This record gives sequence, structure tokens and C-alpha cells, in this order.
Amino acid sequence: MPSLSASPDGSVAPALRVVGTRPVRPDGIDKVTGRALYGADITLPGLLTGRVLRSPLAHARIVRVDTSAARALPGLKAVVTAADLPPAPDRIEDLGEGAIDLRYLSDNLLAREKVLYHGHAIAAVAASTPEIAEQALALIRVEFEPLPPVMTASAAMKPDAPLLHAGLKTDRMGQRDAAPSNVASQLRHERGNLDDGFRRAAVVIDRRFRTETVHQGYIEPQASTAHVQADGQITIWTSTQGTFAVRSQVAEVLGLPVSRIKVVPTEIGGGFGGKISVYLEPLAVLLSRHAGFVPVRLVMSRTEVLTSTGPTSGSDLRIRIGADTSGKLVAMQAELYYEAGAYPGSPVGAAAVVSFAPYVCEAMRVDGYDVVVNRPRASAYRAPGGTNVAFAVESVIDELAESLDLDPIEMRLINAVREGDRRPDNLPLARIGYVECLQALRQSEHYRTPLTGRHRGRGVACGYWGNWGGQSSATAILNPDGSVSFNVASTDIGGSRASLAMQLAESLGIDYAQVKPRIGDTDSVSYNDVTGGSRTTFATGWAAYDLGQKLAAEMTARLAQRWEVAPESILRAGGGFASGDRRVDFAEASKLVCEDAPLMVSTTVHPKGYGAAFSVQCADVEVDPDTGKVTVLRYTIVQDAGKAVHPSYVEGQMQGGVAQGIGWALNEEYVYNEKGELLNGSLLDYRMPTACDLPMIDTIIVEVPNPGHPYGVRGVGEVNIIPPAGTLANAIHRATGVRLTALPMSPPRVLAALWEKSGYRP
Amino acid sequence: MQAFDYHPVTSVSEAVALLAQGASGACLLNGGTDLLAQLKEGRRTANHVVDLKRIPELAEFRLPPEGGAWVGAAVTCRTLSRQAGWRNRFPGLHDATHLIGGVQIQGRATVAGNLCNASPAADSVPALVVHGARVHLAGPAGRRIVPVAGFCIAPGRTILARDEMVVAIEIPPLPAEFGAAYLRFTPRNEMDIAVAGAAVAVDLDGEGSHYRSVRVALGAVGPTVIEVERITARLAGRPVAEVSFDEIAALARAAARPITDMRGTSAQRQHLAGVLTVRALRLAISRARRTQAASPTGDYL
Amino acid sequence: MCKVLIPALLRSQTEGKAEVEAEGTTVGEVIRHLDVRFPGLAERLLQDQRLRPGLGVAVDGEISHRGLREPVRPTSEVIFIAAVSGG
Repeated sequence: MPSLSASPDGSVAPALRVVGTRPVRPDGIDKVTGRALYGADITLPGLLTGRVLRSPLAHARIVRVDTSAARALPGLKAVVTAADLPPAPDRIEDLGEGAIDLRYLSDNLLAREKVLYHGHAIAAVAASTPEIAEQALALIRVEFEPLPPVMTASAAMKPDAPLLHAGLKTDRMGQRDAAPSNVASQLRHERGNLDDGFRRAAVVIDRRFRTETVHQGYIEPQASTAHVQADGQITIWTSTQGTFAVRSQVAEVLGLPVSRIKVVPTEIGGGFGGKISVYLEPLAVLLSRHAGFVPVRLVMSRTEVLTSTGPTSGSDLRIRIGADTSGKLVAMQAELYYEAGAYPGSPVGAAAVVSFAPYVCEAMRVDGYDVVVNRPRASAYRAPGGTNVAFAVESVIDELAESLDLDPIEMRLINAVREGDRRPDNLPLARIGYVECLQALRQSEHYRTPLTGRHRGRGVACGYWGNWGGQSSATAILNPDGSVSFNVASTDIGGSRASLAMQLAESLGIDYAQVKPRIGDTDSVSYNDVTGGSRTTFATGWAAYDLGQKLAAEMTARLAQRWEVAPESILRAGGGFASGDRRVDFAEASKLVCEDAPLMVSTTVHPKGYGAAFSVQCADVEVDPDTGKVTVLRYTIVQDAGKAVHPSYVEGQMQGGVAQGIGWALNEEYVYNEKGELLNGSLLDYRMPTACDLPMIDTIIVEVPNPGHPYGVRGVGEVNIIPPAGTLANAIHRATGVRLTALPMSPPRVLAALWEKSGYRP
Repeated sequence: MQAFDYHPVTSVSEAVALLAQGASGACLLNGGTDLLAQLKEGRRTANHVVDLKRIPELAEFRLPPEGGAWVGAAVTCRTLSRQAGWRNRFPGLHDATHLIGGVQIQGRATVAGNLCNASPAADSVPALVVHGARVHLAGPAGRRIVPVAGFCIAPGRTILARDEMVVAIEIPPLPAEFGAAYLRFTPRNEMDIAVAGAAVAVDLDGEGSHYRSVRVALGAVGPTVIEVERITARLAGRPVAEVSFDEIAALARAAARPITDMRGTSAQRQHLAGVLTVRALRLAISRARRTQAASPTGDYL
Repeated sequence: MCKVLIPALLRSQTEGKAEVEAEGTTVGEVIRHLDVRFPGLAERLLQDQRLRPGLGVAVDGEISHRGLREPVRPTSEVIFIAAVSGG
């Protein structure tokens, strides 16, 4: 384990040869030519097709599941229900990406006593053809006792609300309430005296907000194939953000030792947090075993993806902020009610940290509530929890700035956190680049260009995300031709093969083209946390750096022995090795070194100092007053990347986060009827933006190096999705004079707000 | 998707005979852009699928010298969009046929299919109505001709008998000072279904200062297309400058009978009926006066 | 004596104090020491001899992955925080 508390060597930065360039990604050609293999592309001899029976009801007791008619169907090979799962382990396990309650995870895979949302899995089948599998589903008889659905946090918190889980009692940091409730937990961050703070305020804005359930919207549906062999060994091919997370979840819910499970990652067509929790993998394993050790593949339809995999929480929010006449914030209060879906575990904890993180304020209180409702179990989505709360907070900050006649950037500069200031949970911030981001936007061509025209407005908002470190493992094999085979276990959802190979090349002093990155299965590389939390380029990058150092040291030692010189006498230059008048380039050195013995190095890192991320964004919009449609005319995102290893892919992350944020802000939402049925379970009616709906998203990368990384890297994947909703809400306000307090700010909602302002009655 | 028998027929009589035999278990496959999705998602079942695209008569597209157009039932929207004659002579219809789907869908989708699918939000139907289009049908008893207006009777339902099919859509010759437009509202600029739509056709006098006749048809604000006859009555023979657009919008709103669903609210749709009618009317007038390029493909919203 | 910041919902255990001093060379020792002075505090923080699920600890501004075994110096600041993960 290397020492990871080291500060970056200031002299290294100017000499970077690879980091900061824009080479082509290793997976690029396969992807653009259609050769890359995704989850659904796995084929094996004798492969069976699996299908899942899902609940048509949002909330019901399962009286009986009769599979006898399905089992009698010729060509049907296996049927499994919750009765085939081992007893649910009543335990909470830290599976690397937050704590997961195994009982809930198991119950979400196949419903036991109750179905808790429209789309909840009840049974799974495997058959020789898809047609037979579908026929079998139609033959499974499920007898329900319907229960009233509870669809929103506010409905779930009413005193007489039906309970989703009879045994669920509100946990208030280790203390449980006496009576059962749909509120799974409460958390609170508090400092200073709130009442005193508000008394000192010249202006207080107190607003309530609502945001709707939204989905990550990855284009590749969940797809998993499992083969249980007769000797008990299990191989799972799946599209996932974390092979080890899949391995441990499958092992836990099926009661198997991890040594029997190998998880092979396929290429992944987007995840954004949604491909961490398992849905299909344990079912595929069960079906494969029940079918007689035959491989089984399960691929979700788009509708299944929307009804049954983790979206992120809708929320009810109240934000109350006071400022003095100079614009200085004197009191900040938030109440956050996040809908966890069917089982506890909304991202309200992260939301409570994100809430006021960009602002210095002595008096602060944030209350967060995790509330269960009859919607699919929420899972992570890019900076989980952040967008909801930032929409609300940034709207209120904008309103304060306006009432004090302050420029929105100035308002934020007056109150901006700097190194040593504390987040709402009191954790102090290390060196951050927030003020630099604000200044970069203020100096940008976009912000300095006045916006003209009717029904147009410009909005600004900011966002904080803490990022993550986690554990990463990797190996490097030196080849005699001077190339390096680089095996990682971090699945690549955003260009990380390139950014990691670049860091290894940089560390070794060789060219990017000499490094051959591969993503290994769980038997090839040691434990590695999921690709998530914006951690991979940072933490697995640390591993790449460390491998380079170790490999170079071993090469130096072997050359020293061969040349009969002291290792310290060997100098590195341009990737080569020199001692006295001897000089070899890296390829020659590799050949010499490999003649002695093969050379492989491995490393496992768990770095701290992962460096927080900030983003500041600016949008120009035009609102059609007759239709309520919002057109985004121009958009600029500024983000602190610490050091952009591959600027193009950093820009891609920035643009991608903004694109998703714009969709979330303007049109995306889960639409349910009063029975709790999801009405818009397709990408036609779940309206994510297409290329036709977005302007060019201009990017400004700010580089304030993270002292916790050898090249100054900060995670860049997530913070970009936090500000867009607030940015657009503020722009719409400036364009129309109305403040939208609910997402999405879709045409009917904008129209209704305009009508309310003008007194028009349709 | 369930299994079915596939019949690639080459004549209208063959298709009609299969329909008559197959009764309720037979479906016609034209472009398939609606049918295949419905079959795959289990929203519709079929034992027999009769593919019409190989019938030569159905592939005919003609622009007769006396005016008007003949659009065979299997002529795709892409084929229409690529015909300069279609774009230039029928800009209002082109607005609609050009809007349906992206290029790939356009290459499969047909106007007849759009009509027979009988979606309340169908883009081509309001435009066909204001052009006075007629539908040529074939059945075991022979052929008949009916107006497009009234062809759809409820969401997903038409006047077609079980053993009847559409052969072609005929657009009658247009007057000299004719202009038309179709506009719809969608939250997304592409890949979306009309929340509301409005087609307007005007015939102006020689100077372009008076309405000779006006037809307005609204889409997605009722179970079927709604023709706003009160606007027709109010404007016939009147000077263009005499009747305010606000009044026309109010008449359109009054005619709309929208619902709230996942794609939009009732209040929004009612309001949009007025907004889109006025915008389409202004465009139709400018086209009639030939003050605007004849081939609009851009967004008016 | 290190400095320990008490989360708002646990201040009922610490006579309303948001910040207390404690002894110990690890987070685990610090909690045991505090529990003597504020009985019941450990029960709110621990479950099965580990930090409760969903709870994390930071020492000197760095979130720890060693939990109760994380070393603490006399000048350290210990903060109990909600464990947060990303997507």
C-alpha cells in the first residue's frame, strides 16, 4: 500500500506529457463500428431466455402464486418465485457503495408477502424461446389482496396513511420511534442559533418545492446472463458499474460463498448510478440452476427498466434563508422529504450535505427524512439527491439576490465557501476551486454578453459534490516489446480506460499507445469498488500512478543488477533508463528486463483526500408565452476538474450531466394514475431531451489541483448535474417574472404559472 | 410477440379475401410503425398479418394535371417528402407528413396507416380534413369513396368494415388562392406525440384581402379530429382584417374537448387549440398570398 | 484531549453540547470514553461493535474507512457524519 497522504510534487505538473492530452479512447473503434459486446450480446450454447412476471398493482398482499399451469408448458425449463430464495437475511451490509439492507434487496428481487410498486417482480421463468417464456408468464396465476397505494411523501406521512412495512419505525440516528411509520429515518445537521440568525436578517425567503421521480435513462437496458455449472461454479456476465458489488449482492441474497461466483463485465451502455444494485443477476442464477445447469439470459424491456429499476427520488422541500442588507447569509434552514420508493434508502443523506455546502453561514439547520412510497426502490443517480435540493436552494438564493439587487454571481461570491469552511455536517473543506469557478463564469464571453430579446432570461446556479475515494486494485504486466498490459476492475462508464491508461503512461514516462487497458472479471483482479461517486479517474488513477512507480522501480532494480551498478545511479529520462554512458529506451529496457523473468506488478489503494467538486452554470432561455415551452438558447458550464486528465472526456462528462439535468428540469417525470400505475413507461412518453432539444453546451474547465492526488485530479462525473434545474428555474424567472417551484418545468406547468400571474382563465 | 401467419399479398382482392376469412384475427401491415409496436407490447393480437406493400396499386402516387393528388395507401411519408410537387403544391399536408417520425420511420410510415390507426393525435388527419381529402376503400362488395372527415369515429376506431381496406387517399384540386398549414405542439422538438394540433386551409380572393372559405381542424383535443365549423361560418366572405385573431382563437378553444393525460393537461390543450389555430391561420394566409416560401419544414413553435 | 463534534440528533445525550472533548487513541476509544461521561451515547453510534450502518466518521477532515480503528491524536477533531455514496 503506497503512502497516499503525500502532497503532489509541485515540480511534476509542468512536465506532464500525457495527462492533459486528448488521445482516442481504447474502446472507441469497437463502439463506433458496433463490435463492442454489451449485456444482451452474450450468447452461449443452449442459452435459455428468461422473463420476469411483474406486479400490475402498486400495493397489494400476495395471497397465492400458482405456477402449476406454467410449469406444465412444453419448452418451459424453470420457474422461480420468492419461495426459491433463501430466507431473507435480516442484516444491513456495507457492500462498498453505501449500506444495503439485504432483506429489502432480496424482497425487491422477488416479492414475498406484498408487492410494493407497479412493476415489482413476482416470478421469473426460463424457456427455450422468448415466446414460450412469455406464454408461461401469462399462465402464472397470482391472487392479490389490493391495498391502497401511497404515492408521495406527503401522503405517506399523513397520520392515517397505509403502511408499506408494518415493522418500519422511524430511526432518528440510533433511536427508534415506538409506532410504525412510512418515515424510515430522520437526520439533522445543525449549527449556530437559527432563531437569532433569522432575527438579524433583512430579507427572509421561505419557499416550498416539489420534484418528481426521474430515471437515469441509460440507453442499454439491464441485461444479465448466468451459468451455474454442475460443480457449483457460477459465471455471471452482466452490464454493471461494479462486478464486485454484483458478486457480493448475489452471494448475500442467495447465501453463496463469493468464491463460487465469477462476474464478467460486458461493455456498459450507461449506468449513472442505476447499474449498481442487482435486479436480474440472482434471478438468472436461480433459473440456471433450476433449469438444470443451463445458461439463462435475462434482458429487460424499456418498460421494465422504467417501472422496475431504480429511478431517483421525488421530493418535497422547504427552504428558508435569511440575508442581511449586504447580501451576507445569516440563517439557512431546510426540510427535505425524499421518496425512497418501496424500501428505505433515498439519497436524502447526500442531499442534506449538498444543500448549503457552497455557502458560509453560522446558523444552519437541515432536516432530512427518508420516506417510503409505492414506487420503485430508488437507486443512485449521478450525484444522488443533489439536483432536487439544489433546485430549491439555488432558486431561493436567486430570489434573495434579486431582492437585494445583487448580481447572482456576486451574491454567491459574497457567501462562497473556501478551504477550511465547513459543510452542513461540519466536515471542513480542503482546497477547493469554487471561487475560481465563479470568477471564470463572470469573466466568460457568455456572461459578459448581454442577453437581449423578449421573453428571454439568464439564470445562474451552482453546486457542490463531495466525490468519493473507495478501493481500487489493478495490475500491470510488462511486455518485451515495451508495451504494458494494464488490468483494472473499474468498469468503464465514462472514458475511464483512457484516463487510467494515460495516468499509467504518465507515471512510467511512456506513450499512451504503449498502455493496453483491459477490464477484468472478479477472478482476475483483487477487490475493487464500483465505478461511481466520481471516484474512478481519481482512485483507480492513484492505482495506475502507483503501478507505474512500482514497475519503474522494479525495472530499475533489474537493470542495475544487469549493469552491475547501484539502482540509485540509474536515471529516468523520456521513458528510458540511463546510467553512466549506458542508455536504453523503454522498449529496449523492457526486452532486457523480460529476458530475466516476466514482470508483473499489482497494487491496491484506498486513497483519502478525494477532493470536492464544484460547478457553476449559466443558461439563457426563451419562454414561449403562448405555449409555455422553454427553449435553451445558450448554456455554459464551469467546473473544477482539479486536473483534466483527458479534457475531451471531462467536457463530455460536463455536457452529459448538463443534458441530463436539463431533461430533469424541463420534461422528465414519472406520471402515475390514482391507482399507482406508471402511465409513461416508454421513452416516447418519458420525455428525455434529444439532440434537437439542446443547444451546444459550452464548457469551461477550471483546474485547481486536488492536493490528494499525484496529478491533482478531482472526480468530474457528478457535480455537473446538480445546478441545471436551478439554473433554468432562475433563467425562466428572469424571462417571465414567474418562479416555478416544481419540477419538471414542463409547458403545462409554465403556462399555469403564467396564467396565475396574469389572471388569465383558460 | 405472439406467433402469426404472414401473408405478403400482391393484389387488393387477395388482401380483402384474407380479411374476410381471417375475421377479427387478421391485421393489415402497411408501414407497420404502429402495428409492430402494438403487437410487440401486447396491446394488440393477430393470427394473420396481411402485408400490403407488394400491391402495385397501393404504391401509386400521382399529381394529375387538373390538380389534386392521388396517394396510394402504401406510399410512404418519405416518398411524399421527396416529391417536389407534393411539398410545393400541398405545404399544409407536407407540414404533417414531414412531422411523422424521424427519417427511418418516415421511410416506413404511410398517410393511410396514420389515418387507419385512428389516434386522436394523428398528425396527418387534421391536414387531410381541411384539404377535403377523400378515402377510397375496397371490400368484398366492391369499392366506395368516403370523406376523411368522419372516417375516424373513436380512438383506434374507423368506419372500415372488418373486411374493408384503404386503397388510396385522393386530394381534390385546389383553388388558385389557396394556402394551408398544419402545426402541432410537442414538448420535445422531435420524438414526440402532438399534445394538440391544428390544420387550417384558406381560400382568399384575388387580392388576398378577403376569405372566400376557411376550414380548421383540430387534433388531439378530442376523441377524433374536430372541425371548427364556427370559424368557417364566421370568416367566409369576410375581410381578413375584420375578424381579430383573438376571436378566432376563442372559437377554436370553444370547439376543443380535450382530456388530461400523461402527455398534457386539458387546460393546456384547450389553450393550445386557440394558439395553434391562429398560428396556422397566419401561415396559411401568407402561403395563400405567396408571401412566404412555399416549402416550410422548420419549426413554427 | 481531542475535539468531538456531536451530531444534532445526539445532542440530547450530551446535555445539548455540540462539541465535547474526549480521550482516546482511536475512534473506538473515544466513543468508549464519551459513553462513560454521557451514558447511552455509544448505543446511538454503534451496532454490533461497529459504527451503525449509514454512519461514518471523519478525523481531521478526512472521512475514514477504518471506522472505530481510525487513529486519533490529542489535537484531532472527530466528526460523526452520515455516510454518503455517489452514482
